[in-house]
Amino acid sequence: MNKKKIYPQWFLILPLALYIVFFLLPSIMGILYSFTDWNVRSKGELNFIGLKNYIEIFTSNKNYTEGILNTLKFTVVSNIVKLIPALLLAIMLQEGLKGRNWYRTIFYLPSVLPFLIIGLTFTSILNYNNGLLNTVLDALHLDFMKQKWLSDLNVVWKSIYGVDAWRGIGYCMTIFLAGLNSIPKSYYEAASIDGANFFHKLKYITLPMLSGAITINLVFGLTYGLKVFDIIYVLTNGGPGHETEVITTYSYQLYANGYYGMSTALNTILFAITTVIGVCVVRYMSKQEVQQ
Amino acid sequence: MKKKWMSGLLALGVGSMLLAGCGGKTAEQAPASSSSTPAASAETEAKAETEKNDKFAGETLSILVSAGWMDNRYDQTLSRFEDTYGVTVDLQTIPAEQYSDVLQAKLTSGTCADVFWIQSNPFAIESVIVDPEAYCIDFTGASWESVVPEARLKSCKVGDKLYGMQLWHNSPEYVMVYNKTLFNELGITSTPKTYDELLKACETIAAKGITPWFLPGADGWQHQLAFFQIGGVYEEAQPGLYEALNTNKATFAGNEKMLQVLEQFKELSDKGYFGEDWIGTDSTNMANDFADRKIAMAMANSSFVKQIQDETQSTDEFGLFLIPLGDNTWFPTSPAGPTMFGYKETKNEELVKTFFDFVSQTESLQEILDNSPAYTNIHVNNNDVKQNWLPAEEEFMKTIDQNKMNVSVLQNGTKYTNDYWMDFGADMVAYCLGKMDANTVLKNMDDNRAKTAALQKDPNWQ
Repeated sequence: MNKKKIYPQWFLILPLALYIVFFLLPSIMGILYSFTDWNVRSKGELNFIGLKNYIEIFTSNKNYTEGILNTLKFTVVSNIVKLIPALLLAIMLQEGLKGRNWYRTIFYLPSVLPFLIIGLTFTSILNYNNGLLNTVLDALHLDFMKQKWLSDLNVVWKSIYGVDAWRGIGYCMTIFLAGLNSIPKSYYEAASIDGANFFHKLKYITLPMLSGAITINLVFGLTYGLKVFDIIYVLTNGGPGHETEVITTYSYQLYANGYYGMSTALNTILFAITTVIGVCVVRYMSKQEVQQ
Repeated sequence: MKKKWMSGLLALGVGSMLLAGCGGKTAEQAPASSSSTPAASAETEAKAETEKNDKFAGETLSILVSAGWMDNRYDQTLSRFEDTYGVTVDLQTIPAEQYSDVLQAKLTSGTCADVFWIQSNPFAIESVIVDPEAYCIDFTGASWESVVPEARLKSCKVGDKLYGMQLWHNSPEYVMVYNKTLFNELGITSTPKTYDELLKACETIAAKGITPWFLPGADGWQHQLAFFQIGGVYEEAQPGLYEALNTNKATFAGNEKMLQVLEQFKELSDKGYFGEDWIGTDSTNMANDFADRKIAMAMANSSFVKQIQDETQSTDEFGLFLIPLGDNTWFPTSPAGPTMFGYKETKNEELVKTFFDFVSQTESLQEILDNSPAYTNIHVNNNDVKQNWLPAEEEFMKTIDQNKMNVSVLQNGTKYTNDYWMDFGADMVAYCLGKMDANTVLKNMDDNRAKTAALQKDPNWQ
């Protein structure tokens, strides 16, 4: 008798049907549309144009390729600036810090705010002329630190990473905390008896035992980074100029201008990149877990 | 059980009151109309009028409009229309940034309101609503056609067929508004008429720590105006340019005058005359900044002068002059504006036609103008409408050469240009930041226009 078989398989029919109708089918249709000239004037007549949309993406002077590179850059950097501080915070708050529950709540709070609110708030804070940040710097006689936070080519990406980290660190921290809670205290006690210091424990106990939480954070972070849209749209709308354009902002512009086929082609590229990177990361991290 | 009885009785009571309320309106209107005329013929006429008015009683006229296009200025007229015909107007105001998408979705899904609006120009009427013949009521021959000025009719007609009604103001749009008092105090006695004069004025103003030309780049749509509002200057430099651009015999790229204007724009940006961070500044505080003398000039509608004075109680005097880039001397004539169309699939076509007639009457036009605090006039062929021109506008208009008012602004005088307004703006910023050269900015516009032309199957681009 197989005790694991609790529910009959037909229980899957309804969720599977919903998944197929509302996710799988539209996704496949989206990919098919990317090979057509579907646009605002098509009136239902779609013509198959092969790889023309994809060729235009990589050859047009519109710099879509720069948008793709920006997306990849954002994915990598935003994860670094979120995950490392989040891990350190989680370790700190796991230790016997006074008022740690308060800190956990405070750090987590920004992640429940909608992107739109965050974007609008920070657009105002980061305003060069009358934003809060520059006003405070002025008041503290730190004028030399004043920046055109959202309109200087050398600063704008840093501002975006900063705002994104402010929003996301608490979320990543919570996942790390859950992982840390599952590590038996006895491991640390045994290590202490053997004379291990903080860094030894971190390297040989905490990090290996946290690989599950790291995988979750990485996969979530990568998919979020590759799909990033709202925070950039609200903060800079792809500017100044086209400096912070990413795949999704270009895709949005194309859709708004009525080039639906081309827009879906860009999204298909995003889908392919996300799938490849996601699968690679999960496989690599799974192997690491098995080895440990 | 008792409760059920009570609620049943209550519902019955409320229902009968509602019915009484619905019936009351028309019952009250009839005697009011007939009692005012004792003569028999007049009585017959009044009766006929009442019957005519009553035939729509109880119907609903739905209107789909973007925020800012009707608002309060139509409230009085809509209310009078409801009272006159015993109908209800269902005004569906959509936020501006969502309007185009909502309209497209409603048109293609066959669920559009009886009346809808688009921001039309002589070319947009076809491109924005995709297919006027499929979606719009044909008003050809309507009496109100004569109310709409000839220049604006181009935005309402396709071929000989009349589809839309454009009632918009004719104030100078996006010219330079400047603080006249400040200019005088700084010794700038005449307004800049050439680019060199503008540079000199900017230099004098900037030396006093004041932003010479306030340019809210963060709005994303304003800075392009400096390039496009001076369309006449490009046409003057290359006669026939508009026609050539519309037939794909000329391009933006390589146009010397356009390149010169872009270079002048960048020079002003590089010298900081648009402000320390014009790319990151929006227009939220523009009126206050004018009143506080933080800024001396800005591109704005002439009615902005009134807005500054109303909002800030500034005692400074403000005036207007033409954007002097490219040594421009041309008035920014624009036949574009929000335009009202009737939805072809409506079940209330007669009511829609009646509404268009009603709106074009003198009383309605005057109401619309008087309830538009931001606008000082309404551009219609009707001398009975009393316009409210500002002294600054009248003074400015006197300085304009009448022969330099017949070329439309570039974005509305050339096909497929306005569709890429935001893209062009982003390219201008990229150019000012040194990430793109001037000719690429222009070439991108050519490429984008070609793409739209291909979509429209424009034979000139085939």
